[in-house]
Amino acid sequence: MTISLAVPDILVARAKSGDLEALEALYRAFETPVYNVALRMLRSPEDAEDVMQETFLEVVRSIKQYRAEGHLWGWIRQIAASKALMRIRRNQLRATEELHEEAAAGPGGVGVPARVDLERAFERLSETSRAVVWLHDVEGYTHEEIAERMGKTVSFSKSQLARAHARLRGMLDDEGAAP
Amino acid sequence: MMHCTMDDLLALQAGEASGWARSHAEACATCRGELDALYQRIAQLKALPTRRPARDRWPAVREAVVAERRRRRERWGVWSVAAAAAVAGLLVFRPFGTRQADAAELARVKQESATLEQQLGRVDPDARVMSGRAAALAAALEDRIAVIDGELARLGPLEAPPGPEELVKLWQQRVDLMQQLVGVHVTRAAYVGL
Repeated sequence: MTISLAVPDILVARAKSGDLEALEALYRAFETPVYNVALRMLRSPEDAEDVMQETFLEVVRSIKQYRAEGHLWGWIRQIAASKALMRIRRNQLRATEELHEEAAAGPGGVGVPARVDLERAFERLSETSRAVVWLHDVEGYTHEEIAERMGKTVSFSKSQLARAHARLRGMLDDEGAAP
Repeated sequence: MMHCTMDDLLALQAGEASGWARSHAEACATCRGELDALYQRIAQLKALPTRRPARDRWPAVREAVVAERRRRRERWGVWSVAAAAAVAGLLVFRPFGTRQADAAELARVKQESATLEQQLGRVDPDARVMSGRAAALAAALEDRIAVIDGELARLGPLEAPPGPEELVKLWQQRVDLMQQLVGVHVTRAAYVGL
């Protein structure tokens, strides 16, 4: 996802001073990209909305520490990714991912564009695999960064990515072969 | 024939592949096809449609922020009251206590001075023979007491008299001088030490 969000400095300054209108303006500017990062990493829209809410609460609490050294979206995205990874860890305690991975498959994507096929295939991956694929392939995180944020090793991140792509390839082949 | 694994393909995509994987991918149409497919999948992932949240979560965020600020103010209010009480204790109660202590001390030295006056009144200086040196010392002490009495008389009618601490000091000086004066009259001039 390409995000080109330019936020006026004055708006950030007002948000830093605690101005609720400015904070709402930031929320409106970033709610969709934050929601998308969370939605792609997580399984359910409800979880993604919860992460979005947690992300903006953290943004409000921490914006005074934001030093404008990078794009504001980069800073907010890091918070969103961290919150989503925390949610994934919490979800892992509740369920076995492998069961989800097998059971989450919906109806096949016969006759639909490839993009939707890929989206459905992607949704069937485990949350951990989705998170690694999304952060690496779309958001541009390195394996080192992913490993650090997930509390895992670099080889774990690499193997998750390879495994996820192998599964995507297999699922897309299956859907392409469906009558 | 051995083909590239997904690890090899991802390494090729990242530019980190082994020499074998690079040379194999150049020579193998199947692996080149797999690598192209990988690039396409990544491009398609980046092009996935943007989803919008079904619900507006800003009211919940705003409510939480406002509630946090209210709690912080309340905590600050409690701390402020505590801090104000502590400051008040330092600025008001301690000086008040000090003033109370000074007032008690003032009453004590005044009483001591009065006792010495009575003691001196019981002494009939004219009935005792004093050396010339003792008489001179007694006169010097009486002069100094008179100076203090004059100072106490001057301060008394003032609209803003000095604090008890200063009065105590004056009265204490008077008591010291009175004790020496009594000593001159009752005992010997040598005890005065002047």
